[in-house]
Amino acid sequence: MRSRAAAVLLAALATAFAWLLLRAESQGAIAALIALAVLAGFALLRTRLLDAFTRAALRDERLAQWLAFAAVAVLALLLPEDDFSLLLLTRVLIVIVACLGLNVQLGYAGVVNFAGASFFGVGGYTAAVLSRATGLPHLLLLLAGGVTAALAGTVLLLPILRTRGHYAALITIAFALLFRTFLEVNDSLGGPQGLKLPELRIGPIRFNDPVAAGPLEGSFYLKYVVLALLVLAFFFAVVQRLERSWIGLALDAVRIDETAAATFGLDIARWKIAAFVIGNFVIGVAGALSAFMIGFIAPNNYSFAESLILVSILLLGGVGNPWGLSLAAAIVILLPEKLQIIQEYRFLMFASMVVLILLFRPAGLVPRPMRRLPGTPR
Amino acid sequence: MPAEVIAQYAMNGAMLGMMYALVAVGFTLFFGVLDVIQFSHGDVVAAGAFAGLAAWTLLTSAGVTSPGLLLLAVIGSAALVTAALGALVARFIVLPVKSAPQLNVLLVTLMGGTVLRECIRLFYPGGSQPKLFPALLPATGWSFGTFLLRFDNVILLVSGALLIAATHLLITRTRLGLAIRAVAQDEETARTMGIDFRKVVLVTFALGSVLAAFAGVMDGLYYNEVFFGMGLLLGVIGFAAAVLGGLGNLYGAIVGGFLFAALQTIGAVALPFASAYKDVFAFGVVIILMAIRPTGLIGERASERV
Amino acid sequence: MSAPILACRGLSKRFGGVLALDGLDLEVQPGSVLGLIGPNGSGKTTFFNVLTGLFPADAGESRFAGEPITRLRPQAVYRAGIARTFQRSRLCLPLSIFENLMVGNHQRLEHGLWFNLARRKALARQIADSFEAARALLRIFDPPLADRMQEPAGRIPMIDRRRVEVCRALISRPRLLLLDEPSAGMTHDETVRLMDDILLVQRELGDLTIVLIEHEMSVIERVTARCVVLNYGRKIAEGTYAEVSQDAAVRQAYLGVE
Repeated sequence: MRSRAAAVLLAALATAFAWLLLRAESQGAIAALIALAVLAGFALLRTRLLDAFTRAALRDERLAQWLAFAAVAVLALLLPEDDFSLLLLTRVLIVIVACLGLNVQLGYAGVVNFAGASFFGVGGYTAAVLSRATGLPHLLLLLAGGVTAALAGTVLLLPILRTRGHYAALITIAFALLFRTFLEVNDSLGGPQGLKLPELRIGPIRFNDPVAAGPLEGSFYLKYVVLALLVLAFFFAVVQRLERSWIGLALDAVRIDETAAATFGLDIARWKIAAFVIGNFVIGVAGALSAFMIGFIAPNNYSFAESLILVSILLLGGVGNPWGLSLAAAIVILLPEKLQIIQEYRFLMFASMVVLILLFRPAGLVPRPMRRLPGTPR
Repeated sequence: MPAEVIAQYAMNGAMLGMMYALVAVGFTLFFGVLDVIQFSHGDVVAAGAFAGLAAWTLLTSAGVTSPGLLLLAVIGSAALVTAALGALVARFIVLPVKSAPQLNVLLVTLMGGTVLRECIRLFYPGGSQPKLFPALLPATGWSFGTFLLRFDNVILLVSGALLIAATHLLITRTRLGLAIRAVAQDEETARTMGIDFRKVVLVTFALGSVLAAFAGVMDGLYYNEVFFGMGLLLGVIGFAAAVLGGLGNLYGAIVGGFLFAALQTIGAVALPFASAYKDVFAFGVVIILMAIRPTGLIGERASERV
Repeated sequence: MSAPILACRGLSKRFGGVLALDGLDLEVQPGSVLGLIGPNGSGKTTFFNVLTGLFPADAGESRFAGEPITRLRPQAVYRAGIARTFQRSRLCLPLSIFENLMVGNHQRLEHGLWFNLARRKALARQIADSFEAARALLRIFDPPLADRMQEPAGRIPMIDRRRVEVCRALISRPRLLLLDEPSAGMTHDETVRLMDDILLVQRELGDLTIVLIEHEMSVIERVTARCVVLNYGRKIAEGTYAEVSQDAAVRQAYLGVE
């Protein structure tokens, strides 16, 4: 009972901190808040409180999940008119979804994907082209974004599955570098200026209209927060179930030792394709959602550098750990947006942090815990 | 197609091929010696080009005008900087994670390359814009009809070839080369034979990076400009070329480099509407070739024991 | 003498300049334990690798229970009922002992997307049943180990890892078990114990055949009915341990020319 109260308190504190950070305007206040967080982070790491906290969270996962969900919802409700903060919040949520997909590929199956942002863009462009050219329901277009990204990934990956990991790296890097140029020279896809998307409509809900529901009034971004949160909750549950199943085990075996896995009947190609397709589907849906939210789509958002940011989030947070990557996504997205001076330096900063993490704490900030299969003793 | 146009395309292809070959040889050396893909290699090429540019800028602003001296300084500083970078990367980034899963080495070098690239962009004066690279070689040439065979291109080609030949001789005829080949074959045995593993690795990385320096300077001299991201595509192409020929295989890397350039040239001729398509075409063919022969056209060095 | 469960004829494999297997002929009687011995580099592990499809044979053929398995992929060889251990321990160290065992049980587990994502109760039941089966098997080899099933494999000592590896091969109830120096790194007593436990499982399963690569001759003498001696990829002698240990060619292979 005491640990539950402590958990709620911790969630409340975190929400308050996030609210303060998002509302803060002066660079000095922001810097102070970040310094505070860094100190707290070090204290957690040093005193092993972080590990203790993660173990407690694992013991009562349901509570942790509900608290996180509630924290985000409360945070959004506390910022009803703040367009910019809500936009940031939604961006973080969408990036977490994309990284969940990347995690299935890289964290579980060990399939390298340095074109995450490109597949994100495939999802976005699918949504853009289809929403402009057809009258298909937008919810379907979100799925379509996922499907095209999955198909594109399969075409890319199939030829090189018989080969080793660094070949997949080569192909995805080449794809990432060429994707943007390909978009820029294709006027049917908007060329360098990009494409505009129509307003997102799901059923009777129009997403560009401000919220006016009884006592609640606020920015239309509130609707996007809710949508993104629902999508995230869905994929979080799916990915978690995937990991805690025979499929998750098969993916890990393929990643850790292909030869042994093959000797015991695992079809390496099949599992790698499965992971890549599933991961890309998730990334594509996130991309489609992001495109609708921003309202337009342009090639230079989908560069190789952005793909590296996604991979960095995974590595910093803790490969294979959805909670870790969520924390890392928040840090990587929010920090450069609030602390203007590091905007220019963000690629350098995060790349250096990843190098350090890989050298000194390769498991990441929040290392992946042992798998908990349903039906096994606690 | 008139002969002059073919000759021009062939010349372009040869220049590109030489650059790719130089980068690919580096990749293949690193893989041979440590079984690692050093993804920061492309950015080391860029660093070399910028180091050369920096040397030229410093010397010209100090009043030096002799093109020979400037050229020497450009190449010299490029080689020094890249050799140092290569050795540093080996010592502090690659060797420590050698025993971790291969994926980690790939990631750490890729991120290391990003750090290098961003440092150039942020800290070199005007680094985010393409910068003019001086023309230090004679610009005249022999005319054959409308085709101009430029002296500078010929000099670059010949010196590139000499450099590769020198590397080949070093690997096959010197004691250092013998040590490199021994380590590439079997690290443990080489160590028990008294070879200083660390030193060999550092030297190999420095050597491969010096080749990168030359590729970078060559790129700058040929296109008359450099920019901070030039190493990315060059690195990916160099890696693809090394893979095409068979990782660990020196001749394979050279063949792969020229083959990729040939593919790009064919692509440029066949699909003239956008230059981006030549790269898509070339990579497409590479992917198909890798699917057919995963160990490369000439043959990868097998490295896993069951 | 019934039909051999495993029959190999003329098996050859070349690696670059080295002829690792040179026309190997070998037969194993069902339900027996065959010892495979020979000096280092004589091709014993290569034989396992070729048999299980990790390296395709250059020439020759192998038949298992009458069916040809010569150039099948490792996955198909496993499905035919052949399981193995590796000379160099190949466990997934970050995974738990239970998970490692389940890697070996792959063909008996359901891997469909719908089953694993949506039918969670049925999945939990299958996992629980597998857990019990794994525990029962481990208990034969080392009861304390059976109580540590959810610990990561990286945290247990080497001899326990070897036991887990043997169990991983046994959990799928194979018909042919290939053991590649299972006792490497163990003391004599530990080896005796391991082999006794393996033989116990063999008796319980009823139709398990074993091929054992070993360097400790006392083990070979005790547990095997017949031995095959390899040298330079060829069979140079065959018979009971007593017979082959007296064979002149065998002595020469191990000890050199007199």
